[in-house]
Amino acid sequence: MFRCIFRDIGEKGFKFYFFLFIAIIYLPLVLLVIFSFNNSILMGFPWRGFTLKWWEQFLHNPTALGVVKNSFIVASVAAVVSTASGLLAAFVLVRHIFRGKNLITYSIVLPMLFPAIVVGISILIFLRSVLNINLSLFTIMIGHILFALPYVTLILMARLIGFDRSLEEAAYDLGADEFTTFRKITLPLIMPGIFVALFIAFTISLEDVVIAHFLAGAQSTIPVFVYGQLRRWSGLPMVMAISAFMIMIMAVLLIISLISARRGY
Amino acid sequence: MQLFPAMFWITFFLLIPLGILVIYSFWEMVGTRLIPVWDLHNYVDVFTRIKGMYIRLFFKSLAISALVTVGSIALAYPVAYFVSLRIEKYKYTWLILLMGPYLVCWVILVLGWKMVIGYSGLLNYLAQLLGLISEPMSWMWNNWWAVVFILIMGWAPWLVFPMFVSLEKIDRSLLEAAADLGAKPMKRFLRITLPLSSPGLLVATFFVLIPTFGEFVTPALAGGSKGVMYGNAIDYSFTAMMAWPFGSALSIFLMIISLVVATILIRIVGLEKLMESL
Repeated sequence: MFRCIFRDIGEKGFKFYFFLFIAIIYLPLVLLVIFSFNNSILMGFPWRGFTLKWWEQFLHNPTALGVVKNSFIVASVAAVVSTASGLLAAFVLVRHIFRGKNLITYSIVLPMLFPAIVVGISILIFLRSVLNINLSLFTIMIGHILFALPYVTLILMARLIGFDRSLEEAAYDLGADEFTTFRKITLPLIMPGIFVALFIAFTISLEDVVIAHFLAGAQSTIPVFVYGQLRRWSGLPMVMAISAFMIMIMAVLLIISLISARRGY
Repeated sequence: MQLFPAMFWITFFLLIPLGILVIYSFWEMVGTRLIPVWDLHNYVDVFTRIKGMYIRLFFKSLAISALVTVGSIALAYPVAYFVSLRIEKYKYTWLILLMGPYLVCWVILVLGWKMVIGYSGLLNYLAQLLGLISEPMSWMWNNWWAVVFILIMGWAPWLVFPMFVSLEKIDRSLLEAAADLGAKPMKRFLRITLPLSSPGLLVATFFVLIPTFGEFVTPALAGGSKGVMYGNAIDYSFTAMMAWPFGSALSIFLMIISLVVATILIRIVGLEKLMESL
């Protein structure tokens, strides 16, 4: 009987820990969103009443709005280019056997094996001292495409390994040519994988601060902007509004992935 | 041919730049000019400059990374276990919900934790309200504990996923068989669940250890002067000090340790396991 009671406490404790964990990891984000409406020049407690001041400052600040726009441009381009490159590579790596295949697979995975700081600085010195290219949004894109490539390729390879090739063979048997088969059979079947890859690459680019920190010129992205503001400790409450805005975007991305998970992607 | 785009990015923006990084580590920089001197003085500097501060920083960062890895896995494992073996409905909904905070960028996460453990954060506010302390507790912010704490809390949600994947793979009939043969819950866990979920633990280690070792954002924002890490030294030598060759030499050490860790883990777990966990 005692053992039963102990087991019961154990099970309850597990459940308690699970919900406590979720509550704690969301606590900082919830506090940030709430205190972006706090009527105080200081960032933090105590609560001094509701205000939209900081949000207005953010929405009327051309620099901050430009940075938001930059972030989305960079993330969209990086997502599309890295997914396209990764998809082509994944097809070859899963479906063909050739010499040096392992070497190529590992070199595509390589950016994942280094801390982002190494990737950032090596691209920085290459662009600045060898190619003599000035830093811009374009250079951030290059860094993000490279950094997202291994994740995207591995995700798509996993999808292609689980792909039933007899469906394609059936299409060939029925007289479809290569292109038609790809368009009507292969593409629709791997579409969910492509969406996941785009989503991951977009998120990686949107949240990256390390690579963008080294590769940003005059134009930066949201994380780099916020990082710069926090380091200088100026214009602070507006930064909370920008952060709250980013958290809301995260919430939207989260809801999108919840809906697609329900659909079985 | 189809490999061209991917290999283009890898060759031009990873392999060649890394090669240049290695070359520069043997050069010298005067002002903004790079001079090929081809000697090891930058490597010697890493060990000797400021009484070996850099090499001490290297080992301190290694210790911090190990602590963060162990801490975040310890926090996340029970959660992964609960989702995999206790929750029956909507497992993936819970998993995605757990991933949420990881989708927010680190800078904002650090700012959020400042709202909790900073000088004017929730904990200090509550403690003052209850009359436990009269002044904000200064030991909670601007030191390396704050850095370790934030890194652990930041990584833990993401680690649930790889560990969940390997827990899901465990054949449940093994656990039933062990129970039928009279094994107690603790013994079942130690002899079956834990060993069979070890690939997930290794993948999790891989996910945390390498990025944490190169971390410079969290220490810069939450570590103060006492919480500086190796990544900050690299960051300074490229952005503030304009000492590219010295920074390159520092980075080479970081690269070597990452490659060693990655090679060991990939050898044990295999690329396929890594693929499944994404």
